[in-house]
Amino acid sequence: MKKMNTQKLDALLSQYVDGVLSESEAQRVETMLAEDASARQQVEELKSLKGLLGTQPKLNPDIGFWTRLSVTMQEQKQEEMNLLPFPRKYLPALSVMVTAVAIVAGTVIIQNRMQVAQFFSEKSLAVRSVYENKILQGSLLPLFSKVDKESALQFSLFGTLMLDNKTETALHVDEQSEKGYRIEVGNNLKRNTTRVTFDRFVAEVKPSEKQRKIIDSLLELTGRRIESSVLIGENNTMAIAPDLPKLNRLMVTNIASCLEPLQRVNFERLLEAHDAPYTVMASHASAEKTQTYCQSIPKYPQSDRFVIITPDTMMYSRIHVDFDSLRWQMEKNFVNAAFRREAMLKKIMARHFQRLPSNLPFQSPEQIFNGGEFFSVEINVPHDEDTQQQMHAVVQPRIQKHILLPGRSNRSTRMQIWKDTASGDPLP
Amino acid sequence: MAIPMPGNGWEGEHNRFRIGVRARSFVPSTPGTNEPDSMTNDQALPRQTTEVLRKMDDEALIIAFQNGDLDAYRFLVERYQERIRNLLYSIFHDRDYIDDLAQEVFIKAYQALPRFRFEASFYTWLYRIAVNKSRDELRKKKARRFFSFQTLDEGVEKELNTRLSVQPENRDSNELVALGLQTLPEKFRTAVVLKDIDGLSYEEIADVMQCELGTVKSRISRARAMLRKALKPLMEEVHS
Repeated sequence: MKKMNTQKLDALLSQYVDGVLSESEAQRVETMLAEDASARQQVEELKSLKGLLGTQPKLNPDIGFWTRLSVTMQEQKQEEMNLLPFPRKYLPALSVMVTAVAIVAGTVIIQNRMQVAQFFSEKSLAVRSVYENKILQGSLLPLFSKVDKESALQFSLFGTLMLDNKTETALHVDEQSEKGYRIEVGNNLKRNTTRVTFDRFVAEVKPSEKQRKIIDSLLELTGRRIESSVLIGENNTMAIAPDLPKLNRLMVTNIASCLEPLQRVNFERLLEAHDAPYTVMASHASAEKTQTYCQSIPKYPQSDRFVIITPDTMMYSRIHVDFDSLRWQMEKNFVNAAFRREAMLKKIMARHFQRLPSNLPFQSPEQIFNGGEFFSVEINVPHDEDTQQQMHAVVQPRIQKHILLPGRSNRSTRMQIWKDTASGDPLP
Repeated sequence: MAIPMPGNGWEGEHNRFRIGVRARSFVPSTPGTNEPDSMTNDQALPRQTTEVLRKMDDEALIIAFQNGDLDAYRFLVERYQERIRNLLYSIFHDRDYIDDLAQEVFIKAYQALPRFRFEASFYTWLYRIAVNKSRDELRKKKARRFFSFQTLDEGVEKELNTRLSVQPENRDSNELVALGLQTLPEKFRTAVVLKDIDGLSYEEIADVMQCELGTVKSRISRARAMLRKALKPLMEEVHS
């Protein structure tokens, strides 16, 4: 017999086993089987396979099937009925009515389509302009837009962000206070912190390609976070997310934890040389945990509570900010926004914030007025214990000499927002 | 015979006036009796009617259903639910799964029964609904698997291979065959299940799967070849 391909043979034998071949075909197969042992084996296997399939255990009879089915169908029908609050027999009449109304409305619209189109475009323009005005003239705007890598690095290492290079005005955050965080704006905060460029950082720490990528994305995240943490608004209002100071420490931790021990030593040297607020412990912990740290930088402030500072008051209040649309508006109206930012900075530098009235809410008894910084806010928020422990492993606050100098507090405007540790709410 | 009206729901013209008066049970009482609603209670139906219906063949039941006797459906369900459940079980091999699926099949059939044209026998028609349903379900499963980045088939194959490697006397050949079936692609699996587990003829399978007779033959032979390959150690033992 002529050799046939495997698939044809499979089909033939499979049908032979099922007994569906014609008599002549079956004859042919039997002749072949007599000669071919492997075909015989295959037929045997097919037969036992068929037998095995045929004797597969059946499910136990399900006596309650109909009961459950009818309950399900009943429920479905009930749902359908609930959707239709009136008898179904009126449905055709209703659909006729709806169609008639649609046709009439459609005719009217088509006949007056120019007016209709104009009406809608006018309305949407009006809505849009109101929205844009609200964002750009009315309420809020990020103080920092497009924070670049260098600024993000600066902030990550030293907690300092330049507001204006000429006058060396900067925003500075730190966690030195036992109970909480401090945010300051001033022009003599730079002190001995010279700028560390990213190239310098790379040259000192020598991160690998992969580490560099991680650090890049960390800096990118930091930039985003800064953008959404400091907002300015109408009437010289400034809103600062109170958890911004945490970011400094978090970033030092993040960077340190993706470095190998030796690189970490170099990193610490760099930090020490520039008197950074944190010191990195020489630890042998591996760099594996980085990813969990990276996730712990939220893009937007975690709470909707902001410290709001106006020329004559200061409060701790909730504001709802839709950061995504704010970003979108910023990108769209960048020039306009930048202009407003400039104006705001000028006002800050004109020391608007110094004219603080004496009856501030939340002010601390030892509030002293002076003009070293433009303003300084101390927020007493209990530290988050978990993150605190997580970080202690690698990063510790550096004890800085100038902090300990007596009289420094005399030169700063300091307000304190006390937070009642028991209830978690600010007083009063 | 009642003509199914578009928009008047599942049940055909006969029941239209009843709906909306109050929520009625799915099984309406027989004309002439005004007993309280009953869904499952035999006593609520006149005994004779039940007996008569029980003895009717499929065709007669469908005609009765299409003429407004919705009780008839119950006997069709009771006649075929076991076969449908077993079919779905052979395809999915998952007990938790098949109950809902079988219900869906019978609900679909209930909705479509007013349009039944007697071109095929009821059970091939019902099988077709079940096969389509399980195909949809397998597709959904596949989509879910894609999104969860897991490959289910690999899991089944792994499981099968570990079981095959167990000592011959400690393993359950039924379980092995069931797992082997799970490794087959849907079309092949359904075809071989219909043929060897349900005992349908080639012609009936072509009708259920809505394809040519030649396609059925090749699907079955290929399915068997794949199964033989997947279950190789088992097959060899049987014949040694």
